[in-house]
Amino acid sequence: MSVKKVSGNKSVSYARYGYLFILPFFVVYAIFTLYPQMLTIYNSFFEYYRDGLTIVGPNYVGMRNYVALFTKNSSGYIPLFKFLGNTVWLWLLGAVPQFVIAMMLAIFFTSTRLNIRGQQFFKTVIYMPNLIMASAFSMLFFALFSQVGPINQLLVEMGVIDKAFNFLGVRVTVQSLIALMNFLMWFGNTTILLMAGIQGIDESLFESARLDGSNATQVFFNITMPLLMPIFIYVLITSMIGGIQMFDVPQVLTNGIGTPNNTSMTLIMYLNNFLGTSKNYGMAGAVSVLLFIITAILSTFVFKTINKK
Amino acid sequence: MSKDINKSARIKLLISRIVVYGILIFLAFLCLFFFYLMIINSTRSNAQLKTGFTIIPGGHMLDNFINAWNDGSINIPVGMKNSFIVSSMCAVLTTYFSALTAYGTYVYDFKYKSLVHIFILAIMMIPAQVSAVGFIQLAYKYNLTNKLWMLIIPSIAAPSVYFYMRQYLEATLPLEMVEAARIDGSSEFRIFNTIVLPIMKPAVAVQMIFSFVGSWNNYFMPALLLNKAEKKTVPIMIAQLRSADYSKFDMGKVYMLMLMAILPVMVIYIILSKSIIKGVTSGSVKG
Amino acid sequence: MAEVTIKNVKKVYPFRETDKPKKKGLFKKTVEEPVRRNNLERTADGVVAVQEFNLDIKDKEFIVLVGPSGCGKSTTLRMVAGLEEITSGELYIDGKLVNSVEPKDRDIAMVFQNYALYPHMTVYDNIAYSLKIKNTPKDVIDKKVREAAEILDITQYLQRKPKALSGGQRQRVAIGRAIVRNPKVLLMDEPLSNLDAKLRNQMRSEIIKLRKRIDTTFIYVTHDQTEAMTLGDRIVVMKDGFIQQIGTPQEVFDHPRNVFVAGFIGTPQMNFFDGELILKDGKYYVKTKGITVELSAEKQKRLHEHNVQPQEITLGIRPEHLYLSPEGIEGTVDVSELMGSSRHLHLNADGKDIIVIAPTDEADEGFNGKTVHLSFLGKSAHIFSKTDETNLEY
Repeated sequence: MSVKKVSGNKSVSYARYGYLFILPFFVVYAIFTLYPQMLTIYNSFFEYYRDGLTIVGPNYVGMRNYVALFTKNSSGYIPLFKFLGNTVWLWLLGAVPQFVIAMMLAIFFTSTRLNIRGQQFFKTVIYMPNLIMASAFSMLFFALFSQVGPINQLLVEMGVIDKAFNFLGVRVTVQSLIALMNFLMWFGNTTILLMAGIQGIDESLFESARLDGSNATQVFFNITMPLLMPIFIYVLITSMIGGIQMFDVPQVLTNGIGTPNNTSMTLIMYLNNFLGTSKNYGMAGAVSVLLFIITAILSTFVFKTINKK
Repeated sequence: MSKDINKSARIKLLISRIVVYGILIFLAFLCLFFFYLMIINSTRSNAQLKTGFTIIPGGHMLDNFINAWNDGSINIPVGMKNSFIVSSMCAVLTTYFSALTAYGTYVYDFKYKSLVHIFILAIMMIPAQVSAVGFIQLAYKYNLTNKLWMLIIPSIAAPSVYFYMRQYLEATLPLEMVEAARIDGSSEFRIFNTIVLPIMKPAVAVQMIFSFVGSWNNYFMPALLLNKAEKKTVPIMIAQLRSADYSKFDMGKVYMLMLMAILPVMVIYIILSKSIIKGVTSGSVKG
Repeated sequence: MAEVTIKNVKKVYPFRETDKPKKKGLFKKTVEEPVRRNNLERTADGVVAVQEFNLDIKDKEFIVLVGPSGCGKSTTLRMVAGLEEITSGELYIDGKLVNSVEPKDRDIAMVFQNYALYPHMTVYDNIAYSLKIKNTPKDVIDKKVREAAEILDITQYLQRKPKALSGGQRQRVAIGRAIVRNPKVLLMDEPLSNLDAKLRNQMRSEIIKLRKRIDTTFIYVTHDQTEAMTLGDRIVVMKDGFIQQIGTPQEVFDHPRNVFVAGFIGTPQMNFFDGELILKDGKYYVKTKGITVELSAEKQKRLHEHNVQPQEITLGIRPEHLYLSPEGIEGTVDVSELMGSSRHLHLNADGKDIIVIAPTDEADEGFNGKTVHLSFLGKSAHIFSKTDETNLEY
C-alpha cells in the first residue's frame, strides 16, 4: 500500500514526531492502566487471598470466582444480584428526580417567554455540590443527620418528632439520604448539559412551531424532546455509568458496611471490601471484570448515540 | 375582547413566573442549606453544638480551627499538603500530556493515527476501578504503596482530557499555523510549546481546574494505596472521621475539618465559576 | 535570490485505511481536508496529485502557478516549501538538492491563504518569530522588523494582536513575516483569495511594488487568472496534476496550447465552435457555421511545418476578436451588458452561448433580441484537435 520512495532519498516526513508525541500517553497507559487491567482479569480466574498472615494461592480455579458471585451465599442472597441491585436502585432513587428536575430547569432557563433573571447565580449555586468532595459531603450528612446532629435537634425543637430519630439505622432513610446527596451533586450538572442541548436546537424551529399553533406542551413533546433525544440519552447513559461506580457517598455514610443489613452496599463497596485486609484479588478481579462488561455495554450505547447525530 | 385575552395571558405568565422562581429558590436553598449548617457549626464549640439547632454563628471559629489544625490523629496540614501536591501535579501533567497526545494525533500523519484515536475514545469509558485490583496488587508486590507519585504519574494518560483537547485543537488550530512555524524555522517540539500551547490556553485552564478538583476529591484509589498517616490525602482523613467513634469527638472541630477539606475547591469555584460552568458543556457532550 | 529547479516531480497521496468523515465533534471544525480529489489519476499507490512536473525558475523570477482547485498547484508549492514529501523527482534550490531538507533549512518563506498568524503574539512578535528562533541579536531583530513594517506600512500596528487587525492588515503582517528573513524564495499560496474584491486589487498592485523593493524569487499560487496574468513573469497553467502550459502571460494568452488553457486564461472566456480545417490549394481555411476564413500567414506556416491534415476541429475565438459583420455566424442577442467602453453581447447561436465584446458605437441597447452575424480574422482563430484538444499549430 505504501508509496515506494526513491532509494537513498530521505524524506521530510513528520510521522516520527507523531509517534514521539503520543508515546508518553501510551507508555503510562500500558504500565499504570492496561497491565493492571490484564492482571485484574488474570486474577479473576485464581484463588488468591490473605487469611490472617497466610497467603492462599494463587491457585487456578477457572470460573469459580464468577460462580460464587452468582450463587446464593450463607446469608441467603446472590452477591452480584444483591449488590448490583442495590447500586441500580440507589442510582434510580437519585437519577429519577435528577433528570425530571434538570429537564424542568433546562426548559425554564431556555424559555424566552419566562425570561428567567439571575440565571448565572442559579446555575452557579446548583452546580456547586458537584465539585464538593463526595466523602466530605457524605461525612457532613452523617454529622447533620446523626442522632445528636442538628437535623434531629431541629425536628425535635419544631415538635415534628419527640425524640431523636436514627436516620442511619433505617433502610428507607439511609437510601433516601444517599439518593438526596446524589441528586444534589448531579442535578445541576445535568441541567447545564440539557440546557446546552436545548440551546443547540435551531431557534426558528420553536418559532415556527409556535406559529403553527402549538402550545408549550406540544412544543416540548413534538420539537424539544425528539431533537434533544441523542443528548438526553448520552447524559442518561453516562449518568448510569457513573451510577454503577457509586462509592464515596454510601461508603462514608455507612462506614463501608452498607447499613442496615447490606441494603446500601454498592458493587464498588463490595469490591473495595475484597481489597481491604483480605486482599482477595481473585474475587475482586471477578467483580471488576463484571463491572467492565456492564460499562462496556453501556458505553457502546453512548458511542451509538454520538455517531447517530 | 382582545384586551381580556391580553390580560389573562399576562396573569398566566405572572403565575408561572412565580411558580418557577419558587422552585428555583427552593432548589438553591437546598443546595446551600447543608453547607450553611456546616459553616455555622464550624464556628460553634462542642458545648454550643449540644445545646441545639441554630442558624446563628457561635464565635468559636478560631478555636475550632486551631484544634483542627493541631489534631493528633487527623493531621490535616499534612493531608492538605499531600492533596495539594498530588492535585497540582496531576493538573499540570494531565493537561500537558493530553494536549501533547491530542496534538500528535491531530497534526501528524502516521500509519495508525485513526486507530490510535479510536482506541483512546474506546478506553475513555472504562472505570478506574477495573484496573484497581491489578494496580494495588502491583503496588504491594513492588513496595510502591504510600508513594504519592503512584497517584500522579497515571494522570499522564487521561483519555477524556485527550478527547477534549483534540476537539479544541480541531476547532482552533489551522494546520497552516504549524506549517508557518515550521517554515519560520521552529523545531516540532518548540512549535508545540511556543505556538500550540499558548493557543490552547483556555482549554488547558479549564482542564487544569477539573483535574485539580477531581484529584483533590478522589477517594477510592488513594484510600487503597495510602495507609501511612504522613502520606494520606484529605478525603482519606475525612473518611477516617467517620470510622472513628464520632461521639467522643469535638464536633466543632469535625465541622471545621470538613470545611477545610472543601474550602480550596470552594475558593476556586467562587473565583472561576463562570468558566467552570462553561467548561461543563464543552467538556462532555454536544452532538 | 535563487534559482529553483523542479525535475520530473510527482506527488502521490496514499489511500488511507479510514477515509470516512470524522465524527461530529463538540467544536465546529474549521480546518479543511488537505487533499481534494477530483479527476486525479488513481494508481495502486494512491491518488496522484502532481506528476511530470518540470520547471526551471530563474533567479528573481516571479512564477505563478494557476489552475482550478484540485489541480495540484498548492501541492507543488508545498513540496517546494518542504511541507509535503516529494514522492519522486528532484527539487533543487540554488543548485542544491533539497528533497530531504527540512523547511527551516531551505531558506524559504511562505505566505498562507488564511495568513496563519500566531494569535497569541503581537504583530511585532509574529514578524520577529523566525529571527528569534535563529537567535538573532535583539537589536538586529528590531531593525529588521521595523524595516519590514515600514515597507508594508504596518508600523503603527506592531503592538497589536492579529485579532485587532482587518483582513488587509493581516495580509500585510503575513507578508512581513515572510520578507523579514530575506528568503531565497518567497512562496505565496493564494494570498489574496480571502480578501474582498476591492482590497484584492489594491493588494495586487502592492505585491507588484513589493517585488520591486525586495529582490527575490517568487512562486505564487492562485486560481484567479487575472492575478496570474498581472503578476507573473511566467505562468504555469495546471490541471488534474499535469502542467498544461508554461509561458509568459502574453504567450499563454496568444498561443494557448490546448482547449483547457484557452478557456481558462482570458476573461470573458474564449468562445468555442465546432468547425472544420480545410486545406485547399496549399492554404488552410477554417470553416464553421456559414463562414470560411483563411488563416493568417503565420498560422499557415506553422500548420505546414507540422503537416497538419484537414480534420474536424474545435475552433476558439476570443470575445474581443469576434466582430459584427453582414454575414457569418448567426446568433440571437439574449443579453447585452454595457461595460462602459464596450458592450458584452451574450448570444445564442444554435443553442450555443457566445460572448462578443463590441464597441459601443457599433452596438446599442436596441440589440436585445436581435439576430446578428459574426466574423473573425484569420490571425485570431485558435485551432484545436477534436480528438486530444491540443493546439494544432504546435
